[in-house]
Amino acid sequence: MSPAPEQTVTVTVRNEITDLASVTEAVDRIGAEAEIPGKTVMQLQVVLDEVLSNVIKYAWPDGGNHEFYVRINVRNGGIEITITDDGRPFNPLEQPAPAPPAAGRRPLPGGVGIHMVRQLVDSIEYVRFDGRNQVTLTKSYGLEPPLRRGGE
Amino acid sequence: MASGLTMTESHSGDVCIVSLTGRIDSSNAADFTTHVNGLISSGEKSILLDFANVLYLTSAAFRALLVATDEAERKAARLALCSLASQVRELFEMGGLLDAFTILPSRDEALARLG
Repeated sequence: MSPAPEQTVTVTVRNEITDLASVTEAVDRIGAEAEIPGKTVMQLQVVLDEVLSNVIKYAWPDGGNHEFYVRINVRNGGIEITITDDGRPFNPLEQPAPAPPAAGRRPLPGGVGIHMVRQLVDSIEYVRFDGRNQVTLTKSYGLEPPLRRGGE
Repeated sequence: MASGLTMTESHSGDVCIVSLTGRIDSSNAADFTTHVNGLISSGEKSILLDFANVLYLTSAAFRALLVATDEAERKAARLALCSLASQVRELFEMGGLLDAFTILPSRDEALARLG
């Protein structure tokens, strides 16, 4: 079986929570086309929902209409997703892990999301440059390594 | 716009069963909360959320579930979840939330507990 060709899709998202559906659909479509395992696709959806909804909630505290970009690249059994926005500086990695709940109490809602994100991707990096926030996520999905390299 | 989540109700004795189909994420978590809170305020005292056809849920959904659980508690109602697929259960585990809810393996076991 030859490896699936490299694919890159960029989705433009408005700062409205309903607009996330366009990313959900794009990830489903790329997952199907590139034959990414269903569980991996599902985990990416969970990660993106968290990261993108935070951009929408926190990047532009004064509201107004804004757009940001989600670039999805698939190659060699790995996925790299880059999210770029021109909102205020916001590092999603600086949210602390959730504190353990007191005995008999439900855990507090904050912090659970980024804690899950860290477990669901292989890497997550944040950079601030040129007035923009950029978050890059990577996740591999265990494709057999390509056979063309080496002399076997 | 497709919300990606369908909620269908049925009753078994005094238990209101909400069958969830699809995904629960930021785009529909508020609908989910409104729906479940509506059932609680309409007087349902035992609500079972059947997750058998839930593909995944995100942290927005966990927050919604916590809100619904608190609301149920305030109104002296019981809220339970059943039939989580293994990949969905893993998400609860990652969020450290397995113990935050009453989670039962199957609908039958849940009905026996709630009924």
